[in-house]
Amino acid sequence: MIVDVNAYLGHFAFRRLRHNTATSLLALMDAKKIDKAVVSSADAITYRNAQAGNEDVAEETKGHRDRLIPFAVVNPFYAGWQDDLKICHEQFGMTGLHLYPKWHNYQLSSPCCRELVDAATERGMIISIPIRVEDNRERSWLLNVPDVPLEEIVELVKAHPKARFILLNGIDYTRCPLGRKNNGLPSNYAIELSRLSAVLANELGQLITNLGAERVMFGTGMPFNYPDPALVKLEVLDTSEPEKEKIRSQNAMAWLRL
Amino acid sequence: MSIFQTISISSEPQPRISRRTLLKGSAALALGTAALPLSHSMAVEQSVAGASSGSPHKDKVIDCHAHLNHRSRATWEADDRKLIEAADKLGIDQLCCSTLTPHWPATLDGFRECNRWTADGMRRFPDRVLGYCYVNPGYGREAMEEIRRYVGDGGFIGIKLYNEYTCTEPVVFPIVELAIELGLPILHHASHSHYFVEDQPRLTDSGHLAELARRYPEAMLICAHISGGGDWEWTIKAARHAPNVLLDTSGSVTDADTVDMAVAVVGVDRVVFGCDSSMTAGVGKIRGADLSAQDKQKILGGNMIRLLRRRKS
Repeated sequence: MIVDVNAYLGHFAFRRLRHNTATSLLALMDAKKIDKAVVSSADAITYRNAQAGNEDVAEETKGHRDRLIPFAVVNPFYAGWQDDLKICHEQFGMTGLHLYPKWHNYQLSSPCCRELVDAATERGMIISIPIRVEDNRERSWLLNVPDVPLEEIVELVKAHPKARFILLNGIDYTRCPLGRKNNGLPSNYAIELSRLSAVLANELGQLITNLGAERVMFGTGMPFNYPDPALVKLEVLDTSEPEKEKIRSQNAMAWLRL
Repeated sequence: MSIFQTISISSEPQPRISRRTLLKGSAALALGTAALPLSHSMAVEQSVAGASSGSPHKDKVIDCHAHLNHRSRATWEADDRKLIEAADKLGIDQLCCSTLTPHWPATLDGFRECNRWTADGMRRFPDRVLGYCYVNPGYGREAMEEIRRYVGDGGFIGIKLYNEYTCTEPVVFPIVELAIELGLPILHHASHSHYFVEDQPRLTDSGHLAELARRYPEAMLICAHISGGGDWEWTIKAARHAPNVLLDTSGSVTDADTVDMAVAVVGVDRVVFGCDSSMTAGVGKIRGADLSAQDKQKILGGNMIRLLRRRKS
């Protein structure tokens, strides 16, 4: 079984996405033998009112909940986020949410964000943080959105030991405490592999050594990304089959309580 | 054609990765069905494909954009070996390598040293490493002599140009004319962002390369790393009307549709496979592209072989 913790539905403001409906994404997943995927709204990354994107994802995933696991996108600086979180969790059945601090222009250390993390944790929801949406060098002339600095994530996971975080689309974790052994941080975060190297520097292997295979999850970033590079990483990864199985699906299944 | 018509998913256990499976979808392979240890599976595959010597060229997988490590790096030797090991794991037969100076613009001594190391790399990894001669065009006569030295008896296969000059500056023209004389491709560092890249003020983009290609229609120009971080849609579109500009798929960005759009806009014969050290990204993008196996084979090796056959020395 393969579970992808990093997939999307809908449109992105700056580039056409294919395979961005439930039907077409499922067809792509079938072709790649990906069984389940956590999906969230790509539109909500640039919508002012992210909840409209969440409504679309809730609707789009109806009838496919055995394979598509919807996550919300919540902006803690936008009016009514508490209502949105409640609706996403209780009505839409969303078991996690994405934070986009740089796209939505707030600090992870801000009281509003901390309040959202506490509220989500209280509900048992997972908090995913994409370190980036796209490579900054290909950005539109309209905006310049930096990656989320890993140092800010360090402070967040320290401040919320009971929360559960999945870090998406990141690299260079081994250059900061997040990816180091005995780092003194709570074990409340997992790292998704879509941008990690599996050969040459082999950061993926280093993270397994330093944190344990339990802390690494499979993800592709589809349909922003081709899913195949992430699948290739699993193929060439030099680790035991039981550890690969944890990364492929078991860790995500446990976190998602599937 | 639907993407799914070109993805072959076998229910049979397969080696984790190989030249043939490289052309197929990833899925069956990702399920951990490997029947053989990796090194064994690769050895079997090599003997079947005969990739090391006397092989039918059509089956070769050639990374058109690779680098050996500068020897100021303490771990250069081990890192060079890791590059070959990664190529083994991923089913890449040959890597077209340059060695770059750690600082730019490259000095005369700097690029001469790099080319000596590339030549040494070709000796250390025979038939795996193919050498690009890296020069700074600003050194004029010395740069030309360097190319002639390494292409003749040295066996280098092409020229690597970086960001010392925009490719449309006249100082670059003699290098292009020499490349035409010797029948060599030029792999040119390139990117296009919608802002001024301060640390690369003379950065070349595919529009510049298209302009150079119009001036020199006999030249074989490879626009480096369309997935190298700039606006790849712009890069692809700007190269459309320059038939002697090829697009190298390398770079760390794995955005869906890059390879598909490149083929759709410039044609499959003008797209060449590369990694530029982003090895799983490089292979994965070709796997993921919605193309026939024949078209993928052209990108993976056929097109580069066609270029290399034009070498006159």
